[in-house]
Amino acid sequence: MEADDLALVERARAGERDAFRALVVRFQRKVYAVALGIVKDPDLAWDVAQETFVRVHRGLGDFKGDSAFSTWLFRIATHLSIDAVRRERSARKEDVDEVRESDLEDGGEGILATPLGTDPRQNALRRELGEKIEEALATLPEKHRTILVLRELEGLSYEELAERLGIHKGTVMSRLFHARKKMQAALREYAGIRGDADRDGEDET
Amino acid sequence: MTKKDCVRFAPMIGAREGELSEVEARALAAHLAMCRRCQELAARFARTDGLVAEALLARANARDFAPFVDQVMDRIGTGAPQGARSGRGLLGWVGRHWKGTLSVTAPALAALAVFMYVHFGGPGQVASLEISSQGVSTVLQTSDGPVVLLPPEEHPS
Ligand SMILES: [Zn+2]
Repeated sequence: MEADDLALVERARAGERDAFRALVVRFQRKVYAVALGIVKDPDLAWDVAQETFVRVHRGLGDFKGDSAFSTWLFRIATHLSIDAVRRERSARKEDVDEVRESDLEDGGEGILATPLGTDPRQNALRRELGEKIEEALATLPEKHRTILVLRELEGLSYEELAERLGIHKGTVMSRLFHARKKMQAALREYAGIRGDADRDGEDET
Repeated sequence: MTKKDCVRFAPMIGAREGELSEVEARALAAHLAMCRRCQELAARFARTDGLVAEALLARANARDFAPFVDQVMDRIGTGAPQGARSGRGLLGWVGRHWKGTLSVTAPALAALAVFMYVHFGGPGQVASLEISSQGVSTVLQTSDGPVVLLPPEEHPS
């Protein structure tokens, strides 16, 4: 895939519009998904994704291929997304990265009490949970949304997250911890979906 | 088992293979073997692992992307990519962003570039970050490739 990307990049750099078009089509949904996770608003995510590709096209002449094309692409998408949020956000208190003893308190599990497997009977639950995940993600502070999205969607390692976000590895770990705890807390508020999903599953048997 | 131990180890939960040092990984394993609280935390994190990606990709896949690529191609015009040339009246919000942060970040990045040359610039090694100003736009040469900053004069104040 990566070699294929580079071949397209080379052709796009030479001015072949079809090659650049193919790159856009290849990555558009994932770039949009990353942007959506960070900026929350679908229309803003669409704009950010578009701007990402415009930026990439403009920078192709300088892209030396030292890293994967996708790494470069998602780096730009990340920075544009974070910036879009920061411009819109009103000044408010930032959460600390440090992990304190009180952060370890357990508030119960709610809908997360049962492992979510790939059993078709749980499809309804998964589908509904997908919507709730998005809503829960939207309640997190920008820095927690961002690190969770980059970790899960782009699959970045601690080192890569540290580099991308300009923070230390220790901060990456504690920030991820806070992000996960907050997701759990946010999802607990949707515990009510559990019963309906289970009933749907029962009907299929 | 004190909470102090948990504060240290809880952020390590969810690390992937090779992300912790051997010492850290061994200490975490030893703690998890004894600590019920962290075992439960690890189990809860494992249950939600991957759900964010799944939800966002599902949302992206559900959206009609038919107009996306045409809109992008319209915006880049008919010319070949020009690398670090200046922008052409793109979205205002982009210009506002770089106008606001360029003056703050550029000196810091330049200092960092110098630092990296000094510390990592031995034979056969290349600094992974450098800055160049070409005309009215600025290009950050990061280890991942160039990041073009738009010219601030798009939004005269
Ligand atoms: Zn513990």
